[in-house]
Amino acid sequence: MDWLDFFQSITDGLLFGSIYALIGIGFTLIFGVMHKINLAYGAASIAGAYVSIAVAAYVPLPALVTFLIAAIGSGAIAFLIYLANFRFIPLASPLATLMATVGMLILIDEIVVHATDGMPQPYPALFADIYIEWGDFGLRGDLIFIFVLSLIAMVVLMFMLYRTRLGIATRAVAQQPVAAQLAGISLDRTNALTFVITGLLGGLAGAMIGASVGVLSPLLVVPITVKGLIVCVIGGLGSIPGAIIAGLAVGAFENFFLAFRGVTERDMYVMLLLFVFLVFRPGGIFSRSVARD
Amino acid sequence: MDFFFGLLQIIGVHTLLGLSAYVVLQTGQVTLAQAGFFSIGAYVSAMLTVLAGWHIIPALLVSATLAGIVAGIVGFPALRIKGLMLVVATIAFGEFIRLFWFNFDYQIEKQGISVGPQGGEGFKQIRFFPENGWSTLDVAIFIWVIVALVMLALWWTDRSRAGAVLRAVGEDELAAQSVGINLTAVKVGAFAAGGFIAGIGGAIYAHYTTHIEHLNFGVMLATFAIAYPILGGLRNVFGTLVAVIFIQGILVEGLRFMGDWRNLLFGALIVLAMNIQPRGLIDERSVKLVRGLFTRDRRN
Repeated sequence: MDWLDFFQSITDGLLFGSIYALIGIGFTLIFGVMHKINLAYGAASIAGAYVSIAVAAYVPLPALVTFLIAAIGSGAIAFLIYLANFRFIPLASPLATLMATVGMLILIDEIVVHATDGMPQPYPALFADIYIEWGDFGLRGDLIFIFVLSLIAMVVLMFMLYRTRLGIATRAVAQQPVAAQLAGISLDRTNALTFVITGLLGGLAGAMIGASVGVLSPLLVVPITVKGLIVCVIGGLGSIPGAIIAGLAVGAFENFFLAFRGVTERDMYVMLLLFVFLVFRPGGIFSRSVARD
Repeated sequence: MDFFFGLLQIIGVHTLLGLSAYVVLQTGQVTLAQAGFFSIGAYVSAMLTVLAGWHIIPALLVSATLAGIVAGIVGFPALRIKGLMLVVATIAFGEFIRLFWFNFDYQIEKQGISVGPQGGEGFKQIRFFPENGWSTLDVAIFIWVIVALVMLALWWTDRSRAGAVLRAVGEDELAAQSVGINLTAVKVGAFAAGGFIAGIGGAIYAHYTTHIEHLNFGVMLATFAIAYPILGGLRNVFGTLVAVIFIQGILVEGLRFMGDWRNLLFGALIVLAMNIQPRGLIDERSVKLVRGLFTRDRRN
């Protein structure tokens, strides 16, 4: 093992891990507010990226605008998911919501397959021609762009959650829904807005996946969903800083094993990492002690 | 006619898969690892009949027992976590088993050709049924005898004390614990029983398709496993059967004339069904409704 290869693979993984962090934040936010899982979230993210390709096919757009359209498209889809899977199903049947989101995942997936005939679509990359070299060590320009963009998205999200009325309402609902309602916060509106916000983040992540992989394919949906859930659990449910750190860590970890053990074994080690966390730190990275009930 | 026997086989195997998740769901735990246990049953039984030359019935029992033991071992860490954590942990475990088969390579020479599981290529030539001259009808009967046995066993368990214990844990763990129910034993037992049933299903699946590969056992299969009991309702075992017939018989096969649109409708119908009947197709309300149609006395 070469030290240079080691650092190179870890750095690339860290940069790519920012996408996992965004997806993990989406799962964690929805869990924090509604205490439910939205399994259709990964599908909505990829579908948002598809929306942006569809728009770009009619109107020539700069690549950055494509990213924004992906975010908006995914936000709209997330709102539809809220209406179809969360709004009218009673809180007392969590299994029904879980199942409905699976149905939604299949539905979104099949709409994408139907619209593209199942063919992978090329996605525009940004700054792909830039390559920063430092001796034998190098950094891909498109990955740096993705990393910076997700950092900006995270800062904006944190600002929104802690400094605006909407963010305060969201955190109030997450903490104590009944008290929030008594204080005049509409649960419905807050939940719907949380979904839209996670959708915006997801769409951005979907576009980044397209840009860094080079193509979009419906086959990306299940792996992204699984990785996002793993990140969200390792970071601790409902913890946004946890999801960010866990996302970067999982990215670095998996890229390391990709470089040294090959693509077929890579995901096995990610699953093992999750098991280590579940056994020794079930509350996630930032949990103070093991919770008991 | 063979088409309908083939459909009967599929429905039988998926019923076993659904029942394996049904047992675990009764204790209030959502598991997405059933596809992994299913694949253990499939690969191990196929290795026993093809490589070791066993008869299918002992191969089925041994592989199902192995799947049950693995499931019991998974059940232990699962005791510490619940809800979303358990869903993710079981997804990860199921994927881990799938990736294990993806990297698993073991062949031996038999009559001049090498047979055995071959990593990403999968496991070909599982020819127990054709070699022993079983027709499609024979296989269908064999499958349904096993399905009937499993359903009978579960139906009987549901009505006995064991079923009440499972449901008690599912409704309220704290209350169940305070009346002296051993949570560890119940949860691990439910996982092991679920793994055993999934193993039987996998063993049969491997032998009627004759070719298995790791992609058959992904997250989607695991979500189907929990979809059947949730859609059908956790009231009794027949809910699962009804849901399997509804999905595999009507949605997948019956809508074939719609071509590409079938899959779109499939997802939409699941969303719609859960909005209308959040407790499953066979819940208290629909049971009451059907009973009302057959009895004069509307009071029950």
